[in-house]
Amino acid sequence: MSNEHRASNADRNGIVMPQPTAWPITLAFGFMLLMAGLVTNAAVSVLGAILMVAGCVGWFRDVLPHEKHVVIPCEIVEAVPAQTQRAQVKVFDLAPEHARAFLPITYYPISAGIKGGLAGSVAMAVLAVAYGVIKQGSIWYPINLLSAAIYSQSIQFGTESLKTFHLNSFLVACVIHLITSLLVGLLYGAMLPMIPRRPILLGGIIAPILWSGLLYTALGIINPLLDKKIDWLWFVISQFGFGIVAGLVVSRQDKVFTQQNIPFALRAGIEVPGAMRERIGGSSPDEDGRR
Amino acid sequence: MSSETMALSPHAVETQSLAERLHGWATTVDHKRIGVMYIGFALIFLVIGGIEAIIMRIQLALPNNDFVSPQVFNRMFTMHGTTMIFFVAMPIMFGFGNYTVPLLVGTRDMAFPRLNAFSFWLTAFGALLMYFSFVGGFGLYGAGSAPDVGWFAYAPLTSKVFSPGHSSDFWSLGLIVSGFGSIGTSVNMITTIVCSRCPGMTLNKMPLFAWMNIVMSGMVLFAISPLTAAQIMISLDRYLGAHFFDTQAGGSAVIWMHFFWIFGHPEVYILIIPSFGFISEIVPVFSRKPIFGYPIMVGATVAIGFISFSVWAHHMFTVGMNSWGNTFFAITTMAVGVPTGIKIFNWLGTIWGGKIQFKTPMLFSLAFLFQFLIAGLTGIMLSSTPFNWQLSGSYFVVAHFHYVIVGGILFAVFGGFYYWYPKITGKMLSERLGKLHFWLFVIGFHLTFDFMHIPGLLGMPRRIYTYEAGRGWEIWNQIVSVGALFQGVAVLIFVFNMIWSYWKGKDAGCDPWDAWTLEWTTTSPPPEYNFATIPTVHSSRPLWDLKHPEDPDWKYE
Repeated sequence: MSNEHRASNADRNGIVMPQPTAWPITLAFGFMLLMAGLVTNAAVSVLGAILMVAGCVGWFRDVLPHEKHVVIPCEIVEAVPAQTQRAQVKVFDLAPEHARAFLPITYYPISAGIKGGLAGSVAMAVLAVAYGVIKQGSIWYPINLLSAAIYSQSIQFGTESLKTFHLNSFLVACVIHLITSLLVGLLYGAMLPMIPRRPILLGGIIAPILWSGLLYTALGIINPLLDKKIDWLWFVISQFGFGIVAGLVVSRQDKVFTQQNIPFALRAGIEVPGAMRERIGGSSPDEDGRR
Repeated sequence: MSSETMALSPHAVETQSLAERLHGWATTVDHKRIGVMYIGFALIFLVIGGIEAIIMRIQLALPNNDFVSPQVFNRMFTMHGTTMIFFVAMPIMFGFGNYTVPLLVGTRDMAFPRLNAFSFWLTAFGALLMYFSFVGGFGLYGAGSAPDVGWFAYAPLTSKVFSPGHSSDFWSLGLIVSGFGSIGTSVNMITTIVCSRCPGMTLNKMPLFAWMNIVMSGMVLFAISPLTAAQIMISLDRYLGAHFFDTQAGGSAVIWMHFFWIFGHPEVYILIIPSFGFISEIVPVFSRKPIFGYPIMVGATVAIGFISFSVWAHHMFTVGMNSWGNTFFAITTMAVGVPTGIKIFNWLGTIWGGKIQFKTPMLFSLAFLFQFLIAGLTGIMLSSTPFNWQLSGSYFVVAHFHYVIVGGILFAVFGGFYYWYPKITGKMLSERLGKLHFWLFVIGFHLTFDFMHIPGLLGMPRRIYTYEAGRGWEIWNQIVSVGALFQGVAVLIFVFNMIWSYWKGKDAGCDPWDAWTLEWTTTSPPPEYNFATIPTVHSSRPLWDLKHPEDPDWKYE
């Protein structure tokens, strides 16, 4: 039944609604008995089948040739005016082009998080490779170790094998590094506006320490093999490198006005005529018939 | 309109006998009554599933305990898992969806009212059929009783050799029956939301709870179907000599795992997505701000719906897939955390700078945000294949899973109860009892599921009946069991609150929370027809527009 149809169903007699019926419960009970009979007794299934047939016939007769209805008496009274406990609305002073906004008014754009993540990923990669060269004599050592986080072949490498190039490990490590860096960069973009004081201290120093500490305490239990191969000092240094660079890049980007109440298509730059009322202070849509 | 009609007096209901009232409930096609039946059904099974959990926790509280036999213990964990997922969590989501979605979208009923009733009764009878196994599962062999093969019933445990009697049959047949009910409700939900929205309610003005329900319903259609097919295949294996899951006869036990988990993991999102809907309705109202980033919230939900169908084999890392298979499912599992994280930030953005009211629904929602974040983080940890190899099948996984189901879903459901109970009954729940319920449940939840991670890390496998003393697991299991008792007491307070408030609670009025969506424009409880006149909306907050004619939302949307 369409909305228009339903809307017209409120008449002097009341509102028309579907009539209650026992046939759905009959049909469901019959189906359950049909199934139960498979593991109890065939007679149970026969009874279930009979009930199902009865349920189907009854249901059809409920809706064919015409659907059965009841008329619910309804007094259409004047609608109670909507009331609010907070009639006063705090309005922020904004530029004219931003006629309305909700907190938070400004935010870092998504691109800030992406830039921060990419910059951080470069810083971290440089530090990790430096560790490989200085401490292990091979740039592939940290790369193979990173891939061992999810790629099960890499976890089986011995120390010497970790220092050689493996294409699969390299590809997996690149994917992990890039995705993780982008996600953490986006996280910084989302979090830093909520940390008005010393964002670099929190994002660049404290968060990496907490994260590294958590991993340090857990990895020995979870994956002792991997735990033995990680140099934790260099690990923490590379986390600092990421955090500080990503935090700096993000915090130097210009903030933008949040556009929460603007349709997604408009925010994406797609021209959609009629997607938004292009007027402020106009008459209500009921008055001018624009729906 | 040409139709057969009969008149119903409004006074008739007040003078009905008990039998007439029961008949009224059994034959109703009213979405609100069906929603209440779903919720009542789920609450009854919540208590049953809770009792099963407490029996398990008493058994595991001490080493070498024999509170129940190993056979009973197996039945308890099987029925607890099956009950909580299929007969508590899903029905409660369908119940709230049934009750509120037609009100939220401004229509008078679900698109197919009779199908709605049929679907509910299928779910209810499916549960009864499964629980009949406690008396009927012995079968001709005199073995069995209730199902004891675990809630994911891995092959070959379900074969005739390992599962004589009829216990596994009742498990599969019960789920087939209730599965058809879930599919029916989902079809109904999608049709209602797509076809029955009130005038003016375009998709980008639709309440987020309706969005969550349409995504969830679409997922049910794709997830329940393979499960139902697999249940039929089990029955064919057991009775007609098919060998789908019989490895020795050319079948594959791993195929069952794929069938189950391609249902099983989306199922988690089927349950959590409506929970997101609860939070997305509650948080704005109690922060006194509109939801932050509405279109992104919708996009993230749809993205979760799609991605969640590509993660199922992370439950199978220890099965022996190749490295690329493991890597693919590790990456997709991590990827599903991205839209989920976006949603968490949007809720934080909604709360940010708001005039927060710490009423009980908001307390549950705030706890949800924190706990669901932790649950997500342990999920990311388990998505790492080497990590998973160490902890798969341990209590760490049990703790993670319950952090999602209880810390996420159940907290959101409790929030939903406190939020919509006034609309459903016309009475306010007691805030004092509500806060007592909240704090006891928070304490119990964290005692149980925070500490449950530790025996898992120490190597305690899931599903063991008992354990030797001296392994370092005792203290953790005792804490976990004490937490379960806290939760039990909290749920009893909640049940008492609902019953007491129904009779003695304060009148709610139409709009007790000063909210903005359409369900609050009608009486509490709403009349059978919901709205005397179908509303017309101009923005996503129609009540805001009515309450603030000087500054309506429609000017800016």
